[in-house]
Amino acid sequence: MNNRVAVIGAGMTRFMRRAKETGPEMCAAAVQMALEDAGLTIDDIDAVCLGTAPDAFDGVHMKAEYLLGGAGAANKPYLRNYVGGGTGVFAPIHGWMHVASGKFRTCLVVCEEKMSPCSPHPAGAFLTIFDHTTEQPLLPTLIHIFGIEMRRFMHVYGYTERDLAQVSAMCKRNALDHPAAQIAQECTVEDVLKSPVLSWPVKRMDISPTSDAAVALVLCNEHLARTHKKAPAFIDGVGFRLDTAYWCTRDLGFPNYVAMAAHDAYAMAGIADPIRDIDIFEPYDPFDYKALHHMNGLLLDRTGRRVKELLHSGNFERTGSHPMCPSGGLLGVGNPIAAAGLMKIAELYFQLTGQAGKRQVKKDAHRGVAQAWGDLMQVGTVVVMSSEGGMPITASRWPDVKPADLPGTPLKNVEDVEHVEYTPDLRYAWDNGQALTTYLEGFREGHIRGSKCHKCGRMMVPARSFCEICNLQVVDDCYDLADTGTVMTYTLSHVDWDSSFLPDGKVRTFAVIAIDGAAPEHGLLHHLGEVEPDKVHVGMRVKAVWKDPADRKGCVTDVKYFRPMAPGEDVPFTPVRIKPVEVNSRTAKAFPGKIPMSYKYTAGVGGSRFYKDLAEGRLSGTACPKCGAVLLPSASYCEDCMVTLDPDANARVIPADQGLVASYTTVFEDRSGHVLAKPVVAVQVVFPGTRGSLFGILEGDEEPEIGLNVRLLKAGKVTGPESVRFAPV
Amino acid sequence: MGVVVLGVGFCGAYPASAGHSYRELTARAARMAYDEAGVAAERIDGAVVAEEDFISGYSITDEYSPDQLGMARKPVYTVGGDFLQALGSAVMQIRTGRYRILVVSAYSKASNMLTRDEVLGFAFDPTYNRFGISPHYLAGIEMQSFLGCSDYGLADVAHVVERNRRRAALDPLSPFGGIVDAAQVLAGRPVATPVTDLMIARPADAAVVAVIATDEVDAETERPPVYIAGTGWASATPVIEHRDHGTSVGTALAAQAAYAEAHVEDPADEIDAFFVSDLYAHRQLMHMSALGIGQAELTRVNPDGGSLGMGDLYEANGGARFYSAIRQLRGDAGANQVEGAERVLVHGWRGLPTDSCAVVILDGEGRGS
Repeated sequence: MNNRVAVIGAGMTRFMRRAKETGPEMCAAAVQMALEDAGLTIDDIDAVCLGTAPDAFDGVHMKAEYLLGGAGAANKPYLRNYVGGGTGVFAPIHGWMHVASGKFRTCLVVCEEKMSPCSPHPAGAFLTIFDHTTEQPLLPTLIHIFGIEMRRFMHVYGYTERDLAQVSAMCKRNALDHPAAQIAQECTVEDVLKSPVLSWPVKRMDISPTSDAAVALVLCNEHLARTHKKAPAFIDGVGFRLDTAYWCTRDLGFPNYVAMAAHDAYAMAGIADPIRDIDIFEPYDPFDYKALHHMNGLLLDRTGRRVKELLHSGNFERTGSHPMCPSGGLLGVGNPIAAAGLMKIAELYFQLTGQAGKRQVKKDAHRGVAQAWGDLMQVGTVVVMSSEGGMPITASRWPDVKPADLPGTPLKNVEDVEHVEYTPDLRYAWDNGQALTTYLEGFREGHIRGSKCHKCGRMMVPARSFCEICNLQVVDDCYDLADTGTVMTYTLSHVDWDSSFLPDGKVRTFAVIAIDGAAPEHGLLHHLGEVEPDKVHVGMRVKAVWKDPADRKGCVTDVKYFRPMAPGEDVPFTPVRIKPVEVNSRTAKAFPGKIPMSYKYTAGVGGSRFYKDLAEGRLSGTACPKCGAVLLPSASYCEDCMVTLDPDANARVIPADQGLVASYTTVFEDRSGHVLAKPVVAVQVVFPGTRGSLFGILEGDEEPEIGLNVRLLKAGKVTGPESVRFAPV
Repeated sequence: MGVVVLGVGFCGAYPASAGHSYRELTARAARMAYDEAGVAAERIDGAVVAEEDFISGYSITDEYSPDQLGMARKPVYTVGGDFLQALGSAVMQIRTGRYRILVVSAYSKASNMLTRDEVLGFAFDPTYNRFGISPHYLAGIEMQSFLGCSDYGLADVAHVVERNRRRAALDPLSPFGGIVDAAQVLAGRPVATPVTDLMIARPADAAVVAVIATDEVDAETERPPVYIAGTGWASATPVIEHRDHGTSVGTALAAQAAYAEAHVEDPADEIDAFFVSDLYAHRQLMHMSALGIGQAELTRVNPDGGSLGMGDLYEANGGARFYSAIRQLRGDAGANQVEGAERVLVHGWRGLPTDSCAVVILDGEGRGS
């Protein structure tokens, strides 16, 4: 390796269901803490890399750009990486690349997720992680595929719900000692088993919560680490793998992608036997079974015997031989997706350098592994870290940090503070392309269609025009397959895609069905019907129930559901080679869709002050005690100094009638591009003695000019940016 | 360790590409790149993909990145940024010494988006910057500020459009080439004064794929390698209230890093051609100033017609210019060939409301080796 890379500082906010702070404000708080922990200032940072998962949570397109000021990246090299839920452990890998390449000496790694703006529930954002054409019409959400995978895992490895509940209880108990924890509690296996069933076998307490939080780490090269006042932890191995998006085409019981990523990381770190060579494990645990599922991958053990033995012998406890999730994991600390993964890296840093306080594992730990997972049961990210046994030379604050010492303001309701509501109009029409056009036309005609790769011989469902595992081999041959298959796994869901309960105790069954005539385990996601939930089982033979031909639209929902086959109903079927649908301007139609989200954003600590002032016709800036600048609009941090500010204590009154137009534009279109009945003038206005400006709408019919004296108008009722208006003095 | 470009592939650009899914566009570009590089997908160590959720229409859009590149189960990740930023990340990855051959890709399927201005407006800070008006308002503010602090005038901005659209007429990949005179640009439909609709690049579809490797890799290709001599990327403040809208600080900082790495002291003298983001016409001039080049270099800027000629390809914009730059260095640029081009600069900008930019300097075989 060119340069060895070390972690030398960490910072984090509390993990909360709903934070008053905006995303950038949470990042800034975590960054300031990490810099202080590392004994550095923002000027010592050469580059910043940010990890954050879907934009749909925060409700900002290109959200890394929105977050960058809080991440300490203004006027610096800055990159955002993401691999879904695997992002939190990938971000330090990306940071490792920055430093190990020799391009940068230091790199700040920041992970953030603010899930609470999503309305009515953040879970709704998961609808659009599924393929828009082949899966979204079935209204699945993340909990459904977790249920599907959990059921398969239990089936393959023989786990009971009680076995899995042990993990949840242990994590929530461990989290009692974590200062950032959101749902730490002393609970029993019985409590988990009795919690409400959401999508069997998933129960509420099997799941980690949705959260808002940010975590930051400081990485540096070995030379700097050696001169650091505290003992560093080194990144010894990294691995990351991304499997196919066609998630219904593999056995979900074992995470090959995690095992492959772990293999890469172990090879780099010189680990021959993970069970012998690794002291601490922080597997990704958004659901309790996932911790064990991932441990099978991390131990490179497809049989699953080792993990089962360690679970049943109690050796996953902090006092055991192989402590697992000593932090309390996502199940106890919380799950602000990317930030949760980076919290696990921070935990290795704390544990390996003796800074974990009450959470410190009993054994003498020198090497640990953290892992995250994400996307459509698809990505594994793995980091191996080690220490050299040295305890901190100077005292660390981390062993004694209490929840109140961490930044972050939990809110019960967003309506309790200044906030902005917004519903984007996000509509799409996705071109199906040659292969999917043939696939969808098959549904219209009452057939499930696949395409065959003549190199590997797989009959693939859904049909595609290339083979993803054969060097992009062109695939031209399409076939009508049987409309029968075998249930590989399933979940019995009580909740809809937006997390609301289905009416009248209704249960919707999602299943992965391996289609007859397709390659082994090649299947599709669909609903089951005409069967009592308790009669559904893995291996059940099923047949499609089609809508009437006149009602079919060339969509997966042309199959109403799959029903159990009666004994003797199975008949041999040979795939029928067909002529693919020829694409012309009539057949090449697009599939309609939208992202159906609404948002309620907190205005944040700075924004609350600004809008409170605006409601009363006042204006204040925030003074930074370090650089002396008075920031406009009100701010809770200075992005140049990366110090947190109090917009009330550091407020400086600014005369609201002394604004000067710095720039302006007459706008002829509305937010959607429609021509406005009357053009609107937008202005940028500066105020003497401040750094910054305000943007708003200029009222009146006067032609603006640079330097025009304007005053900020009292808003009365504040509804967000549209309340910011100026008038000529 | 040197890093070289072994092969590139491009599919597009089209104002709309009905009949091709985004997967099919990318798979085609990937096959071209792999063939040109002389490597099969199975020899490639991994991929870095540039994309954004709401452009693709997916949440967690990286899920759908590996298959059409033939990279399933390989080390693959997404950079939420321009192709050039993903390239910079991939170069770092190779320089760790753990990876030898990587693929970098981006695509635009802009025609899938029915509400593009809504998507753009959704990138603005919800607390302070969404006014219910066209998000292009910030381009109007920028252009007003830029013209107020530079030697350029409105006519110069209009001439950028005229020049780029004319050049694009000679580029077989650019669908918006044609003869548009400056007066027509100035008289165009106003969007956010002084910006008219002809000053804004129109959306288009395309996919771009590049194969890069250490210069120690033996590839079965007859195409001469292109050397990546320098990379840089940087972001100015995202707080538009704090930004100087007359300059591109992100470009200046990115260029500074790339110039240092490539040992460039006088870009106007040492670089033969410049591919500079022109998503808005005024931005080309603003970026040129930040890159340290002026009016005298205009003849060597965007010889392919830029985004005004090819279209706004979103995360693939820098990739399209990168593809054109490789064609220049190989003498394959046809009517738009810059005579004797041996060193070129490629610049990318993330678009509004950002000032996040990247700069890559490429050397042809003669200079790089």
